[in-house]
Amino acid sequence: MSTTILDEAAQAPIAAVREPRKRRSSTTRKTLGDWMILVVAILIGLLIAVPFFLILINSFKSPADYNAAGPLTLPTDLYFDGMINFWQRVDFPEKLWNSFFISSVVAILAVLVSLLNAFALGIGRVRGRTWIVLLILLANMLPQEVLLYPLYFMFKSVGLYDNQWAVIIIFVVIQSAFGTYLLASVLGTFPKEILEAASLDGANKWTMLWRVVYPITKPTLSVLVIFFFIWTWNEFLIPLTFLVSNASQTVPVSIAVLQGDRLMDVTTTSASALLGLLPTLIFFLIFQRTLTRGITAGAVK
Amino acid sequence: MKNTRRTLAGVAILGVSALLLSGCSAGASESDANTLKLWHFESETSAMGIAWDEAIKVFEEETGATVEFEEKSFEQIRSTASQVLNSDEAPDILEYNKGNATAGLLASQGLLTDLDEAVDEFGWDDALAPSLQTTARYDEDGIMGSGAFYGVPNYGEFVEVFYNKDMFAAAGLEVPTTVAELETVMKAFTDQGITPLAESAAEYPLGQLWYQLALTKADRSFVDDYQLYTGDVDWSGPELTYATETIKDWTDAGYISTDATGFKAEDAGTAFINGTYPIFFSGSWWHNRFTTEATGFEWGTFLFPEAEMSPGSAGNMWVVPEKAANKELAYEFIDITMRPEIQALIGNNGGIPVAADTADITDEKSQELIGNFNTLAEQDGIAFYPDWPTATFYDELNAGLQELINDTKSPAEVNEQLGGQYQSGVDDIVG
Repeated sequence: MSTTILDEAAQAPIAAVREPRKRRSSTTRKTLGDWMILVVAILIGLLIAVPFFLILINSFKSPADYNAAGPLTLPTDLYFDGMINFWQRVDFPEKLWNSFFISSVVAILAVLVSLLNAFALGIGRVRGRTWIVLLILLANMLPQEVLLYPLYFMFKSVGLYDNQWAVIIIFVVIQSAFGTYLLASVLGTFPKEILEAASLDGANKWTMLWRVVYPITKPTLSVLVIFFFIWTWNEFLIPLTFLVSNASQTVPVSIAVLQGDRLMDVTTTSASALLGLLPTLIFFLIFQRTLTRGITAGAVK
Repeated sequence: MKNTRRTLAGVAILGVSALLLSGCSAGASESDANTLKLWHFESETSAMGIAWDEAIKVFEEETGATVEFEEKSFEQIRSTASQVLNSDEAPDILEYNKGNATAGLLASQGLLTDLDEAVDEFGWDDALAPSLQTTARYDEDGIMGSGAFYGVPNYGEFVEVFYNKDMFAAAGLEVPTTVAELETVMKAFTDQGITPLAESAAEYPLGQLWYQLALTKADRSFVDDYQLYTGDVDWSGPELTYATETIKDWTDAGYISTDATGFKAEDAGTAFINGTYPIFFSGSWWHNRFTTEATGFEWGTFLFPEAEMSPGSAGNMWVVPEKAANKELAYEFIDITMRPEIQALIGNNGGIPVAADTADITDEKSQELIGNFNTLAEQDGIAFYPDWPTATFYDELNAGLQELINDTKSPAEVNEQLGGQYQSGVDDIVG
C-alpha cells in the first residue's frame, strides 16, 4: 500500500514534464519517439496502479463473491459491509485522528529541525559537515528492528512508553535525518550573492534564516512536509511497538487487527487498506500543486 | 515576518493541543484494584469472541469489578508481548499463543505467572485432557509438556477431512473408513478428471497431511520423541518413510496437483468453497468460515481414516503476566470461562470447547465437529503440529515437500534433508 502512494508521488514529476510537452505539441508535430515514450509512460503508470485497482475491486466484494470468482474479477454487486464492519470494529475516526495528529506534528517539527540543521551545515559551512551529515543519516540507514529495543528501554525509563509523543519524537529524528541531508545539499548551492547582500543590509543569522533562506526554500520545504506526512502515516513497526493502548493507535496498526492466526479475510482487509490509503491520497491531491511547484521551482533555479 | 509569525503560531497551537491530548491518554492507563485489564485477539463474531463477551458480563455481575477490555491484533500481541509484559502497561490477563517459542519463552524469562496454585484451587486440570495440558505447562527452559502451568486453554483445534457431500453423491461415493478406501475414492475422482485433494504446499496444509500420514503408522512415543525431544527421531524409519512416499505416490497418481506448490492455504480453502476440489484436509479453524460461506453445497467432516492420532492441540490460552496488578481477578475470570455455559457458547458458535457437556451443544454441524474432537481427545490422539519442534522447521518442511511434488528430489533425499534440518534445530534447543 505504501509503495502505491510513494509511486503516485513519484509520478508527479512525470506529469510535470509531460505538461509543457503537450503545449508544445500544438505547434510541432509529435514524432514516433514521443508516442513511444507516451506509451511506455502509460504502461508503467498502469503497472504501478495494479495493486491499487486490486484493493479497489476487492473492497466492494462480498466474501461469497470472492470465494466464487477470486481476486481478479469485478464485484457482481457493491458490498459495503466489510468497510462498515471494519470502521465500527476499530473505531476508525479515532485512529484517523491519531494518525493525522502524529503525522502532521512529525511533518512540521521534522521540517523545522531539518531547516535549522541544514542552515548550520549548508550555509554555516561547519567543519567536517560531511561526517556530521553521515552520522545523522545513520538514523535513516539503520533498520528499525535494530533501533527497537534501545528505544524501548529509553522511552520506558522516561515514562513515555505507550504515549504518542514517543512515536513523534522518534519520527521527528528519523525524518529530519533525511531532511537534513537533502536540505544541506540544497543550501550548499545557495547563491552567495544573496546572502552577502543581506549581511550588507545588516541582517544577522536569525533574520537571514527566516527572511532570506526560508522564503526561497519554501517550495522545497513544502515538498518535505508532504513526504514526511505520508511516510510517517504509513509507518507500522514503531507505532505497533510503542502505542500499546488501542486509544492511541494509528491506522496501519489498526488494520493489523484483521489478520488472524491462521485465517485471513481478504475482502475486509482490502476495504481497510482502502480506508487507510484514502487519507494520504486525498492529502496528496490537495497538496499536489505545491508538490509540482516545489520540484519545478528547484529545477528552474 | 508575517509568515514567520504565522508558522510559529501554528507550531505553538499544535504543541499545546498535543500536550492536552497526551494528558488524556496518560490518565487512562492507570489501574485500580477493582478493574480487570483484559486483552484478546478474537473478533467479536467468532466463537471465542461471543463466549468471552458473555464471560465478561458474568464476571462483572458476580464480582462487581469492571473489565477494561481491548481487542488487540494477533500481530501486535505476537511481536510486542515481551516488551509490554515487562512494563507497567501490562494487562492483568491476556490471550497468548501456546508453544515453546511464544508462551514458553516468556515463561522462562519470568514474565508469566506460575499458575500451579490457582490450578489446584480451581481444579482446571480435571477439565483438560492430558494432551491438552501439554501446551499449558512449561519447564524452566520454556519447553512444553512438563513443569508448571503457565496458561489455561479454553478451546481446542484439530485437523480433519472436510468433504463435499454433493460431489461424493454425484460420483456415487461413500465416506472412506480405511486409507485404501480413501485411495479408491480419490481414484474415482481422478478418473472423472477432478483432482480430489485441495492442497497447498506453500503453507501449512500439505505439511499437516504429511504428518497425518506419518501418524497413521505411529504411536504416542513417536509423537513424544518428535515433539517433546524425549528420544531420537528415525527419519528413515517406517512412519516418516511412509509419509513422504505416500505424498509422492498421490502426486504421481494425480490426487494432489503439482500446482499446489504455489498455492497458499487461503487458495486451497477458497477452491474447496467454490467446489473445485471435493476433499480438503485441514483444521477446524475453517469450520466457521465454511458454515457461513460454503453455501452452494452440502459438506461434512470425518477424521482421517485409520488414524488413532491427528494433528491438533489446545488453542491459544489465558496467561497472567507476572506484572499484573490484579491476579486474583484474573483467576476468577479464567474460572468463569471454564464454566459449562460459557464452554457451550464456544461450542454452539463453531468453536471447540475443552470442557463442554456435549448435551449442551445444539447445533448439528458443531456436534459433529466436537464429537470428532472428543473422540480424538479420549483416545489420546491430539498429536500437535509438524512444524512445532524447531523455529525454522515450518519453512524447511514446506520447501522439502515442494521439492518432493516438483520431482526435484526423491522421497529418500527429502527425508534425509528434513532429518538434518530437524536435528540441528532440536540440538540448538536441547543443547
